[in-house]
Amino acid sequence: MTIIASYNIKGGVGKTSTAVNLAYLAAQHNYKTLIWDLDPQGASSYYFRVKPKVKGGSKDLIAGTRELDGLIKATDFENLDLLPADFSFRNLDLVLDERKKPTRRLKKLLAPLNKEYDIIFLDCPPNISLLSEAVFEASELLLSPIIPTTLSMRTLEQLKKYIKDNKLKHIQLLPFFSMADRRKKMHREIIDTLAEKHPDILQSIIPYASDIERMGLERMPLNAYINKSRSVEAYQSLWQEILTVLK
Amino acid sequence: MTATPQYFELPANLTAKKFIARLSKKVDLHIASQQYSIKTFYDSFDWRLYNAEKICEFTHSQQLSQLSLIDKNSGHIIASEELEQLPRFSQQFPEGLFRQNIAPELEMRALLPLCQLPFEIYRLNIFNKDQKTVLRVQIDEYESLNNRVQLIPLKGYEKAHLKVVNILHNILEISPSNCTVLNQALKQQGRKPKDYSSKLAIKLKPDMRGDKASKLIYKHLLQAMQVNEAGTIADTDTEFLHDFRVAVRRTRAGLSQIKNTLPAKVVAEYADFFAWLGQITGPTRDLDVYLLSYQHYKATLPLSLRADIEPLYAFLKLKQVHAQKELSKKLKSPKYNKQLVAWEQYLNESLAKKGKAGHANQSIKAIADSRIWKVYQRVLKEGNAITEQSPAEALHDLRKTCKKLRYLMEFFQNLYAQEDIKRSIKALKGFQTVLGDFQDYEIQELSIKQFSEEMMQQNTSSNTLLAMGVLVQYLDSMKCNARNHFAEQFELFVQAENKATFKRLFTNKA
Repeated sequence: MTIIASYNIKGGVGKTSTAVNLAYLAAQHNYKTLIWDLDPQGASSYYFRVKPKVKGGSKDLIAGTRELDGLIKATDFENLDLLPADFSFRNLDLVLDERKKPTRRLKKLLAPLNKEYDIIFLDCPPNISLLSEAVFEASELLLSPIIPTTLSMRTLEQLKKYIKDNKLKHIQLLPFFSMADRRKKMHREIIDTLAEKHPDILQSIIPYASDIERMGLERMPLNAYINKSRSVEAYQSLWQEILTVLK
Repeated sequence: MTATPQYFELPANLTAKKFIARLSKKVDLHIASQQYSIKTFYDSFDWRLYNAEKICEFTHSQQLSQLSLIDKNSGHIIASEELEQLPRFSQQFPEGLFRQNIAPELEMRALLPLCQLPFEIYRLNIFNKDQKTVLRVQIDEYESLNNRVQLIPLKGYEKAHLKVVNILHNILEISPSNCTVLNQALKQQGRKPKDYSSKLAIKLKPDMRGDKASKLIYKHLLQAMQVNEAGTIADTDTEFLHDFRVAVRRTRAGLSQIKNTLPAKVVAEYADFFAWLGQITGPTRDLDVYLLSYQHYKATLPLSLRADIEPLYAFLKLKQVHAQKELSKKLKSPKYNKQLVAWEQYLNESLAKKGKAGHANQSIKAIADSRIWKVYQRVLKEGNAITEQSPAEALHDLRKTCKKLRYLMEFFQNLYAQEDIKRSIKALKGFQTVLGDFQDYEIQELSIKQFSEEMMQQNTSSNTLLAMGVLVQYLDSMKCNARNHFAEQFELFVQAENKATFKRLFTNKA
């Protein structure tokens, strides 16, 4: 079982679209896949038409009163399940803080799902918090979408520093450009310069595209309503890059 | 992931479309697809998958060819594989869950089609108010069977599943099905699952006349030969010939051991015929055994010699093909057909009011008691006479006597207390293993040596001959091993408890 977090300190960079579309592609490739919507806004849950409601809320969940398996919902797609968000997840930090070894909590909760799933995607809320520390502890890959802007680049550097300072050696950071608009000169320039400066940035670039925005209307992963487009190809290429890392 | 499906059988006049129309009045449903498919069920000839509570079905449509292995009791899919065509043997399947689940059951047996059903698949999704699928429904509309509905629950949406179950039960008055499609399809063909087994289960009555019971036993064995004949001729898999030969051997043992129940002239005539059958089927079976053992042989060699043994496989395969061709020819010959038909006719002839042979009119139970006890005594005598210095022949003779005893016990097993006879057969079987191993390793050792001489004539590489030499050494050590275990196994077989059971069973004395 591989745990992959879709994470960025910044909001609105395409974390949810990344988690949703990659989870869909993983499932299509016969990987038994789970996506855990950790964001209280519940965007992943919304995309899969699943009610953002978890029995017992964040308290029971983190306490382990209920097994995660009993809270999971099947999506409309083969091999793909979802652990929905709940509004109480806004307090996840506080709930975690009440536990012993809070940063190890997610990893412990996910361990029993080892047999059932090949890949688990964590769709994370922004910010660096106790929850994100727990996410880092649990994950092997940290997928980080970055918009090609100077500010986004600063957050990437912050994240790298955080990983280095906290000696999170087990985690592999995989940054990639997201919501890239080739028409914007600044985006083009940043992509070109940064690819040289940061060779660890993945090759695939997710474009800023209206078909991705339509996910909110269609309420399903991109590939489920469009067979072929630049965005579809971009996610497929990103998935292939991740597969190479996994192998 | 999807949970275990639940199956319902629709009444005879309820078409898929009518069912959908009725269900759509109660739930928000969407027809996701409709396609024509052909379902073919597969198993080995001796029902190995079914015996292991598994059903193998291959669904073929224009869009998809899917092979599924299903738990017979729960309907849960154990493994599935997208395949265009089905390989015949488990080792020819792609590596994966499907292969892992069939290989231990099938072993060397071929996967063969049992029956085929054309049908129309309707796939429906049941939605909640967010248009989220909360239950999947599949309707299989058959041309010749009642239609079936399968509810495929989705994780986390158990309530929606229960709701539809209630609708089917209470409103549409449809009940869960307790009979698999396979069973129904077989029933239409006049068949039922597990209608072949190489094990004997002859329903004899204790007071049955000796000649009548003998004929009944031979009829069973003849039937076993007949059902295995086509597979033997076609070489579908090695076990057709194996079972054919077992039936021949059992018949020969019957003719020689169930004494004086049939006229001596008949016995003499057919003893010759079945001896001939044993002889003509021998070479192919021997080569089958070498080929089946090949991987094991290879694994016993040091790593550095394993590749060198490969020419032996090609050599054996070529020999087997020739032997098989000869065998097929003989099993299609007028001699074989004429004699077998005559034997069948003889067995079907009605019996005279009074049988002519010495024991023809005796009860079969009395005959069985006396024959088994006598042969058992012979086993004890021969076994007791074997010392560490005894020649191999003594063990081979004992092996043959044990085989006779075993066949007699199997012919007559339903005349005795089941638990006792089964335990006694098991004890004998355990003892036979050591004798069988001794004989098999000796013959294999000699054969491999003989093959190496033949291969030397064909300019086979010296490394291959070297590897075969190492193999001979291994077989010899295994033979010695079996010989060393003889005394211990004989002691186990003749332990007081077993002796008492034999005595109780076959002499009616405690």
